[in-house]
Amino acid sequence: MTLTGARDTPNAADTPPRQPRWRLSLSARNSFLSYALLAPSLALALVFIAFPIYMIVNLSLRDGRTMVMSEVGDLPFTLNNYTGVLTDPETWDSLRISAIYTTATVLGAIVVGMSTALLLRRRLPGRRWLRTLILIPWPIPGAIATVAFVWMLDGTYGVVNYLLRNLGIVDENIAWFFNPDTALIGVLMPTVWIAYPLCTLMLLASLQSVPEELYEAARVDGATPRQQFRHVTWPAVQNTAVLAMIVTGLWSFTTFDFIYAITRGGPDGATQTLAVAIYNQAFRFFDMPYAAALGVVTMAIASTVLLALFPVVRRRFF
Amino acid sequence: MTSWRMRVLRYMLIFALIIVLLFPVYWMVLTALLPTRILLSPSPPLIPPMAEINFDSFWRVFELRPVETWLANSAIVTSGTVVACVVLATMAGYSLSRLASKFALAVGYSLFLVRLIPATLLVIPLFMMFGAIGLNNTLRSLVIANTVIIVPFAAWLMKSFFDSIPVELEEAAHADGCSRLRAFLIIVLPLAKPGIGAVAIFSAILAWGEFTFARTLIQGDAGVTVTVGLVSFVGEYTADWGALMAAGLLSVGPMVLLFILLEPLLISGLTSGAVK
Repeated sequence: MTLTGARDTPNAADTPPRQPRWRLSLSARNSFLSYALLAPSLALALVFIAFPIYMIVNLSLRDGRTMVMSEVGDLPFTLNNYTGVLTDPETWDSLRISAIYTTATVLGAIVVGMSTALLLRRRLPGRRWLRTLILIPWPIPGAIATVAFVWMLDGTYGVVNYLLRNLGIVDENIAWFFNPDTALIGVLMPTVWIAYPLCTLMLLASLQSVPEELYEAARVDGATPRQQFRHVTWPAVQNTAVLAMIVTGLWSFTTFDFIYAITRGGPDGATQTLAVAIYNQAFRFFDMPYAAALGVVTMAIASTVLLALFPVVRRRFF
Repeated sequence: MTSWRMRVLRYMLIFALIIVLLFPVYWMVLTALLPTRILLSPSPPLIPPMAEINFDSFWRVFELRPVETWLANSAIVTSGTVVACVVLATMAGYSLSRLASKFALAVGYSLFLVRLIPATLLVIPLFMMFGAIGLNNTLRSLVIANTVIIVPFAAWLMKSFFDSIPVELEEAAHADGCSRLRAFLIIVLPLAKPGIGAVAIFSAILAWGEFTFARTLIQGDAGVTVTVGLVSFVGEYTADWGALMAAGLLSVGPMVLLFILLEPLLISGLTSGAVK
């Protein structure tokens, strides 16, 4: 926008930019349409996000069990759910598992995403198709990817065990989902597999905006590929990489499909992240108030982490 | 010479990565096409013996489970969600793009807030609300829940798309006496078609793959969607991996096909403003 404007009018720098002024005056004169267009979405968010959040908080302060909305008001107030959640060692176990699961997903996805994006960066004949192939896991439903991995990781006939045995990495088959030590690795595999394409996509878009001349200049100065990455590529993509990591992290912190479809949190709670723990409390033990309190605590933890990251985010994006 | 060698090396690396990354898809196809007796072996064949390939698993799975009902339910939920998301996101996106930027920024931040809520938590009040208004156990409840989750991001996507359409176009129409609504409908909307297409595919992918709401808000067999159906399949027919993978391919197929065909549209829509 600014570039074309500057080319059209040579003295563009002297005149104030027109667009914001017009926008402002238009929104002042004519904002009715804007609000009318926004109203349906806002109404939807109020009824189905804001009101539910109020209900979660309300529910988390009630003593007793119910699954019917009209009965919630009859239950007495209590803080017991919160003391229960905060003193239950299972909560902190779940937090630890959530932290490991989220960190591992983010690292795995960003490493695969960066490798694929770097390979696809340059113009190559057939690149459009190679890119499509690499992004294929993206539209695959997480639950179905998980089912495929359950088969691939099968303890007796799984092809992954077969490959690992042939490569000499393991001597005996691993019963991935029955062993608390390996179950988390097992659920991480489909999670990373579904998560990396978004990282590839974001990083690729950002890489392609780096002018080729920068690399040529670096090569002329005798920079090795590693130095080129360190001094040309990384400064250009680090903001996008951070954003991709935050988006992936938020997604994997709240995700449920992968773990529930295989282990439902087991064996022995080894894969029970906070998101899965909330579901198990609500829909397996039918303790909605406790689940709501656990959810509020989960969101408080997530917000704290996000707020701690906020200075980093703001420095990079605003 | 060296650049020629570099290019071959690059292709080889890309193909090696593709083989590793797409191996799960390959294995699904292989499993669906081979008879169980060959697959259930401690050393399964990595390259399928051509003579053994057949499509029995695809027929068998329809006899085992009502896969056609699952697919139909998913299709209904997905089309409903796509229509709702496209309409709402286009309206809201235009409004956010042309409104005062502070307001849009506030909405942008609140997007992060929505992402903080685990679906497993949001589904608790939704379950009770739908129970209170008699929508529980209907596909409509899934359309609503999916739309609620998808619309914030879809609206933001449309906003970045509308941002890339110069305001001067409407300004000119406005100067010619065109009302703002008319300028939006006649001038801006046709230009926003690629963005609308991207939002449609994006919501279709998310709605088709949704699991948490479908697992919770639907009880009984009539409203089972394909993701929930397949997962329920795992425990009950663990031995029949061929049929399971055939059903998996049938449910993955539509979205992957859509994605392969329309990938450039989706990518350009997603990267036009969302990733800067």
